[in-house]
Amino acid sequence: MEVEDGGAVSDRETGTHGGSPPGWPAAIGLLVTVVGAVGFVVAFVTNASTAWLGGSLAAALLGLGVALAYWGRDLAGDEVISGPYPAPHDDVPGAAALGGDLEQSAHVITRRRFLSRFLIAGVGVFAVSQAVILGALGPRPGRSLFVTAWRPGSRLVTFDGEPVTRDVLAAGGILVAFPEGHTDAADSQIALFHFIGGELKPQPGRETWSPEGFVAYSRICTHVGCTVAQYMDEVQMLACPCHQSTFDILDGARPLAGPARRPLPQLPLAIDPQGYLVAQSDFTEPVGPGFWDAG
Amino acid sequence: MSDRRLMRSLRTAFGVRRSPLRRAAGWLDENLGGGSRLLREELRHVFPDSWAFFLGEIALYCFILLVVTGIFLGLFFHASQAPVVYHGSYQPLVGVPMSDAYSSVLDLSFNVRAGLLVRQVHHWAALVFVAALMIHLLRMFFTGAYRRPRRINWVIGLSLLMLVGFNGLLGYSLPDDLLSGAGLRIAYSITESIPFLGPTLASLMFGGQFPASGIIARIYPVHIFLLPAGIAGLLGLHMGMLWLQRHTEFPGPGRDDRTIVGTPMVPAYALRTSGYLMLVAGVLTAFGGLLQINPVWLYGPYTPWDATTSAQPDWYMGWLEGAVRMFPGWDIQIGGFLLPAVFWPAVILPGLIFTPLFLWPWLDGMALRDGGFHNVLTLPSERPGRTAIGAGFVTFLTVLLVAGGDDVLASAFGLSLPVLLRTLQVLFFVAPPIVALLTYVVFRRRAQRWLATGR
Repeated sequence: MEVEDGGAVSDRETGTHGGSPPGWPAAIGLLVTVVGAVGFVVAFVTNASTAWLGGSLAAALLGLGVALAYWGRDLAGDEVISGPYPAPHDDVPGAAALGGDLEQSAHVITRRRFLSRFLIAGVGVFAVSQAVILGALGPRPGRSLFVTAWRPGSRLVTFDGEPVTRDVLAAGGILVAFPEGHTDAADSQIALFHFIGGELKPQPGRETWSPEGFVAYSRICTHVGCTVAQYMDEVQMLACPCHQSTFDILDGARPLAGPARRPLPQLPLAIDPQGYLVAQSDFTEPVGPGFWDAG
Repeated sequence: MSDRRLMRSLRTAFGVRRSPLRRAAGWLDENLGGGSRLLREELRHVFPDSWAFFLGEIALYCFILLVVTGIFLGLFFHASQAPVVYHGSYQPLVGVPMSDAYSSVLDLSFNVRAGLLVRQVHHWAALVFVAALMIHLLRMFFTGAYRRPRRINWVIGLSLLMLVGFNGLLGYSLPDDLLSGAGLRIAYSITESIPFLGPTLASLMFGGQFPASGIIARIYPVHIFLLPAGIAGLLGLHMGMLWLQRHTEFPGPGRDDRTIVGTPMVPAYALRTSGYLMLVAGVLTAFGGLLQINPVWLYGPYTPWDATTSAQPDWYMGWLEGAVRMFPGWDIQIGGFLLPAVFWPAVILPGLIFTPLFLWPWLDGMALRDGGFHNVLTLPSERPGRTAIGAGFVTFLTVLLVAGGDDVLASAFGLSLPVLLRTLQVLFFVAPPIVALLTYVVFRRRAQRWLATGR
């Protein structure tokens, strides 16, 4: 393949390009490189800050870059060449298309019609069979998305495993709680609130779930599962910092704004004779974001 | 070759005082056979001279820098979520339980010499890589470089963009800090939202229910081997094809679809592009040294019960984040089944964006009834329709990107978040067609003036 045809357009492309351009910009660049390289070694040996390390190394690289690019640019002006683009086959008389060649080779195989089809089918079956390996990547979810670690009678405990009694949480406060023995269960975390002024709006069918004004909601956003960690006490809302969904704590954690549609699931609470807060049961709906069988 | 013969040939070589370069080239001549003749021709490979061809080079050099810095980081990073208690030199986190992965990133940042520099250069290189790819893509689009015979390379380029963006997301997830964990949680939930298969797919990908304890160890080989190998392979294909077909060129004297004009690879182009490599490396090193990025020690380790406000993904995921924030909570209940609303912005929308992008060269060819080979580029004003579509598309993505930071914008400018969100929802529908229409009018006029006056 001939690439060049002799560089005929040089002057038109470069305009007025008389004599050799000054060499000093490249020389300054190289000087900066040397200074920067030495500076980097000094910075490294003296365990200097990231800014010194990065600054000196950057100076060295930039100096070299300026020198090379400047020099190359200059040379580019000196020598402009042209050549042909590779011609597509239908522009070249007598040249055969790739397709023709391949077809001829393929014909040798496809004339054994049964065997060639069997080959395709066999390779296909083999390829599909290997998909079973994917099954080893993880467990089927089964019921795991529908249940958490809460059981009837599970005591509420804090991060540190301290049981929560009716005296721990003052009215108007918030506490993050877990089922006893499962302080690492991400899907079981709840936000516990305490209201004594009757502000809490009773939800139909859930009248017994918030004894003495204690109410608990899942802390996992029903949008895409971030932790609903922002508590805005002046409006009694919980907000998700990821996509700004907000939930009305006083009204069954109903979504007020943002992309979440479903309320935060409420945990049915009870207070046992010793004054400990306990769960009546697990959540009655899946916690966290929606999925196909959660409907 | 015996020592004596070697010495003799060396003496001969020195005797005739050939330059070292010449001798090396002579050695290649003797050992490559016909290959050296081909090599000789390729040294004169023609590279058209325009700033526009630098954009793809920036992307390529970012990749090189990512590999180099990534190897360094790999020497110190522990891909393990084994629980440890931090006792390193960063005082505020001493005594805090965390994963081995997060602890190793802290050590890398504070105790390994130049570790923080390399980590920050790696992160900046990733951010600039995606930006360079996108601008390169836009340049291709607005100048018609995607037309035959470069349709396949357009497809390869788009695939590269997807792989690079995805690998960036995985890299963001590795340090196991609070933000990276939140990102993984969202990725898990989005996977879960896929009808019927979602929960199983999510469990297979993460190796169990979120927060799966082995996810960092699982992401690591994908981030440092599988996807980089794929990216390198596609880059090789992309550039191999570019090499065989040569660059496109802007219209100009002596240039047409059959003739390419430019500088030869050796010496001018090689020198200049080596300089560009150094410049890209220098700029990214300056960023890494002087501009803090992803200070994971401020976020703290990931736990499923902590969260932070103003949580932002890396910028190139912002459009997806914006879509997820803007889309209303339209959960659909069908019988006993649920189709979560997030399925539309997070799964369907990316498909709606990328499918026409992939098909664009064919759509464009069909619309114009132009299936011919083109090596000379068309300027934006020559094709006002195409320019308008591109401008509308960029506007569309910009609205999504802005929405991805709506909470930050609202608090920075004292705006009401719901009002801002509603405004963006309106702009999502209104802005792209308006911008497209204005672009069309402006460029159409320019084209007419150009036809009339030649300027």
